Amino acid sequence: MSSERQMVPRIGVDQWVATAEERRLRTLGVRLDEAVARVPFALRLLGIALPVALYPVLVDSEYLLQVGIDTLVFVLLGLGLNVAVGWVGLLDLGYVAFFGLGAYLYAAVASEYAGRHWDALVAVPAVVAAVAVIGFLLGLPSRRLAGDYLAIVTLFFLQIFLVVLINSGFTRGPNGISNVLPLEVLGRQAVSLEAYFYITLAACVVVATALYLVNHSRTGRAWRALREDELAAELMTMPTNRLKLLGFAFGAGVAGLAGALYAPQQGAVFPANFDLVLLITVYAMVVLGGAGNLFGVAVGAVIVTGSLEALRSPADASWLFYGALTVTLLAVLRPWWKAPALLAATVVFGLAVHEAVEAARPSLVAGTPVGQAWIDGLVDGWVLLPENIVTGDGLPSGALGRLAYLALVASVLALTLVRSSRWRLVGLVPVLYLAASVWESLLLPQPAVARYILIGAMLVALMAFRPQGLFGRPRVEIV
Amino acid sequence: MERPGANGGVGERRPLLEVRSLSLSFGGLACLSDLDLEVYEGEIVSVIGPNGAGKTSLFNVISGVYRPDAGDILFRGESIVGLDPHEVARRGICRTFQTLRLFLNMSVKENVMAAAYGHTKAGVLRSVLRTPGMRREEREIERLAEERLGFFGQRLIGYRMRQPAYSLSYANRRRLEIARATAAKPTLLLLDEPAAGMNPVETQEMTELIGRLRGEGGYTILVIEHDMHVVEGISDRVVALDHGVKIAEGSFEEVATHPAVVEAYLGTTGVERT
Repeated sequence: MSSERQMVPRIGVDQWVATAEERRLRTLGVRLDEAVARVPFALRLLGIALPVALYPVLVDSEYLLQVGIDTLVFVLLGLGLNVAVGWVGLLDLGYVAFFGLGAYLYAAVASEYAGRHWDALVAVPAVVAAVAVIGFLLGLPSRRLAGDYLAIVTLFFLQIFLVVLINSGFTRGPNGISNVLPLEVLGRQAVSLEAYFYITLAACVVVATALYLVNHSRTGRAWRALREDELAAELMTMPTNRLKLLGFAFGAGVAGLAGALYAPQQGAVFPANFDLVLLITVYAMVVLGGAGNLFGVAVGAVIVTGSLEALRSPADASWLFYGALTVTLLAVLRPWWKAPALLAATVVFGLAVHEAVEAARPSLVAGTPVGQAWIDGLVDGWVLLPENIVTGDGLPSGALGRLAYLALVASVLALTLVRSSRWRLVGLVPVLYLAASVWESLLLPQPAVARYILIGAMLVALMAFRPQGLFGRPRVEIV
Repeated sequence: MERPGANGGVGERRPLLEVRSLSLSFGGLACLSDLDLEVYEGEIVSVIGPNGAGKTSLFNVISGVYRPDAGDILFRGESIVGLDPHEVARRGICRTFQTLRLFLNMSVKENVMAAAYGHTKAGVLRSVLRTPGMRREEREIERLAEERLGFFGQRLIGYRMRQPAYSLSYANRRRLEIARATAAKPTLLLLDEPAAGMNPVETQEMTELIGRLRGEGGYTILVIEHDMHVVEGISDRVVALDHGVKIAEGSFEEVATHPAVVEAYLGTTGVERT
């Protein structure tokens, strides 16, 4: 039996297999990947942190410095959430409660209200440890929960946390605690924005390093293994329940640290700072940057905070809108010439519509753009911009705006139903034009709403063509 | 490879694994009933039986995934019933899966390194501080992984170690599962259909490999296999199950010709028709 088997030629051992490595290295992406991987982590981190450290020197406005600090706090939050979501694979929807806990606990040991002012060298580690322990305790009853159930329990925890904050007199209810004292190290107080910028940056560097080291240890491998296949991990000697708790506590501790740095910088803590919107924002960062990748998560935090801030001012908002639209089209449409062709067609289409409407109903295009960017002036002669969107054109109050909105949503949905890719492309022309019109006349005057709609649209577009996020590795699940 | 507690097996007659009147049922459906099984140190025992006979359920009970309704399982004389699966694995029973369960998005090497969790110690703090002891341990884990992967010749080493597990071919995934299980340093290996889905050459290779696992690795092996050539080639003893009951036990020839086994595989009418 075995002698006749040995006569069979050995399958799979041939020229092609022998040269596999050589051919693999011929791809530029692979070579780049390997080159980056060869650079030590410390050097890579330094290469990012040093330019960032120049930021306070380069900007001269307090506002921009504040945005920088907020961004770094978000980077910290993203790094912590990445432990639970990216590595251990737990859908933790109570995450920002730990951020809030950190901030409130700092207020409890360093505020005029509490009548104490602990040294930061004691206060911050104590807060981090306390929040990590609370995270651990919260994890205890939910450690056997997986997926959706864990999400519900943790979301419930966040809601309880908020309700307690708002209703208890001890935390001063919705008014929050307003006299939180600054970080004080050995008698020296951190008061300037620069100081907080560097402290937060240092915290980011320390946390990123610690997380990198943990990820490249048996604990990190076990975390990722249990995300891949919990049962297999358990059967390969890994105590999955304990590991999940550890990951949960680790993420909570990082969030607590972010809170302990955020509270003294703001000088006050309010329940409204830790709501669902914040949770969604932090998730957006992790998803956008690529869950599981430290660098990606940091980039995601910068992009999301940056865009949210830019969208606040009408001067920059339009740049982001038109820029994101163009980049998305260029990235999604293949071959490359389709996107420019589409944009050109949209411009021509818009000019024609604008001419026609101007002749028929001049009031529909008589408005002046709210945006102050150069591009807003440019599109003024192109989009439909009613003189007064609220009481517009003889319709009942507000009807025109609602109609435009409805038309946009309906046309986007209708577009997804079109089977033929050619007609879908053709249909995209009026939809893009409508989107630009809605943007100029409806969204731009209401930046608070527009910000989140736009971030949401960005995420949807990203998920469509890069579901693993900007820097994430695509996950493969084949049986 | 070191030989974890191997001492030839045949001389010493105390079973490494003892399964005593084990019963398991799911909502009234008896999966295993009153099953007895012994595996001696250094042995290769094959478990055969038609689909649904309870072979994989037996593995699941031994490795702690299911808790039996009745009966006991002794490993080195101690009961392991009721232990969490990771504790069973730490005591020296590690397994592979019939339906492959690799950590697909981790690299080949990391798959093997992850399984060293049970016999390594460095905690989170030591990992962050990168203490000398932790670094030594990490080097040992890496060396262990390379050595375990090297057991399969050139197939899993070199550039392949850095590739994600999902990039491997089916046969290589089966090999990686075995490498991963051995990285946990078990005494007893449970192999669930190691040759399933392999071509004849690969099957032949797997047969030799299981022999080498005992010879060079020193593992005691309990294996579920459908391919009778493999079973014949490797087994010291064969146990046949049907409907959760042991219907025959003995050498390959004894079991293969046992009327109850023939009946279980072919049915009674099949025999009578001749």
